Amino acid sequence: MFKKTPLAAGVAVFATILFTGGCAVADAGKSDKVDYTAMTPHELAEYLIFEANGGGFNLSQEMQEGGTARERMQQDELQKACSLLGNANPDAETAEAVRTAATASITYPEGGIQLGDWERGRVLAWSGFGYRVGHNYDDHKTREVGGTCYNCHQFATDRVGGSVGPSLTGYGKTRGTSEPILKYVYDMIYNPHTYFPCTHMPRFGASGFLDEQAIADIMAYMFDPESPVNE
Amino acid sequence: MFKKALLALPVALALGATANAQKAPEDVLQALIDADPGSVYLTQSEMNIMMMPDSPALWVGMDGEDLFHTARGPNNVSMEACDFGKGPGVIEGAYVEMPRYFEDTGKVMDLETRIVHCMTEVQGFAADDPAVRQRHGSGSDHMKLQTYIAMQSNGMEWNNPLDHPLEKAMRDAGEVMFARRAGMSDFNCYACHGEVGKQVRASRLPATEAKGEWSKAISWPAFRVGHDNVRSSQHRVRGCYYQMRQAGMLAGSDASIALISYWTDMARGQPAVLPDMKR
Repeated sequence: MFKKTPLAAGVAVFATILFTGGCAVADAGKSDKVDYTAMTPHELAEYLIFEANGGGFNLSQEMQEGGTARERMQQDELQKACSLLGNANPDAETAEAVRTAATASITYPEGGIQLGDWERGRVLAWSGFGYRVGHNYDDHKTREVGGTCYNCHQFATDRVGGSVGPSLTGYGKTRGTSEPILKYVYDMIYNPHTYFPCTHMPRFGASGFLDEQAIADIMAYMFDPESPVNE
Repeated sequence: MFKKALLALPVALALGATANAQKAPEDVLQALIDADPGSVYLTQSEMNIMMMPDSPALWVGMDGEDLFHTARGPNNVSMEACDFGKGPGVIEGAYVEMPRYFEDTGKVMDLETRIVHCMTEVQGFAADDPAVRQRHGSGSDHMKLQTYIAMQSNGMEWNNPLDHPLEKAMRDAGEVMFARRAGMSDFNCYACHGEVGKQVRASRLPATEAKGEWSKAISWPAFRVGHDNVRSSQHRVRGCYYQMRQAGMLAGSDASIALISYWTDMARGQPAVLPDMKR
């Protein structure tokens, strides 16, 4: 799960101050009594998400990982640092801080990085199921959480993958299965900010999106000589 | 199909006549393609482009025309009494200048919220009346009215006003929201719309920096072939937050309007394709 960092906690405190003291809120739910133009764009965005008329989102909905949507919408330190206007790149100092924190976040399986079952990995790499909420909630009791990998990457060419991330076709065949390459891919899945600060790729391990077995199986799909990725 | 095609032509002509007699939505799209012929997003579906003259959205818009001019609700008045920003009943060019600030509510409103306002405050519908509550689907009053009203801006340039301080504040908050990462996937809007020429699975993505792509991307209502329904801006925003694994967006929330203010501003000066057809 996400660790809500001091920065994220600061957002919550800020929102509370704004709501109860900083502005003339005559009546909870009457956002028109609040002067939007007196706020900075960041203050107003937080206010619109969390407070205006009870919040702009269904914040009381319970999340699959526990807690509510209100907590899910709060940013942790990395999310805050990497929310750059206009899709700008982080400055060198921010990038280094993000990279350092990402590296520290990674934990490894007892007994080292293992490759699992590539056939299950193939299913997981394809599946876009998991952690969606709102109007069509993903009930994790009915189906296992997938990796959404194909959204952004091409793997075996029997299915069409996305191109937001690089193609991974033939990954194991061209790179082998040495310890360093396995560690690199494990790190990339667990927390890719350790190599690419403020990348758009999710932190599948650090966030708790995928468990240890799912990561091992998806890695097998990438590395196993029998996998169609390496045909 | 053939019969539909034959019938669609006069519909397109009749509806187009009030707004932009010269250009059908497919002509507006073609102009965007001509200006950016390398765009894989604009040209991704030859079939959809071919089908645009027969778009079911044209029929939804025609239903909307009837609905708009019919006296309805407990107050028995038509939408002609509603001000969409250019005076009561004036809808030509109104949609490309929304979201905008409305003096009577003191709020920045998008088309959907404005229709809600007029249904409840002008026509007198209760807030929980199905006409007000049902926001999605080609059969809904909302989609009929939105499609008809939006079509009166076909081919016109996006130009949401930012003169009022509230309009500017909402647009700027929307810019922050567009870049704001949160949730299980750390995504913001740029995860999908930050780079030209990308795709998610088989779906080509529009990028904010490719202005013609972005103009088509925000051209809602559009008939979504995969959904077999006409969809709205609010529906798109909700869907994006859903895929980003963030919380469920509430229809008509100021947060949604802030985001729509920013995305409209990013298409400023580009012609709107209304109604559009999307995959």
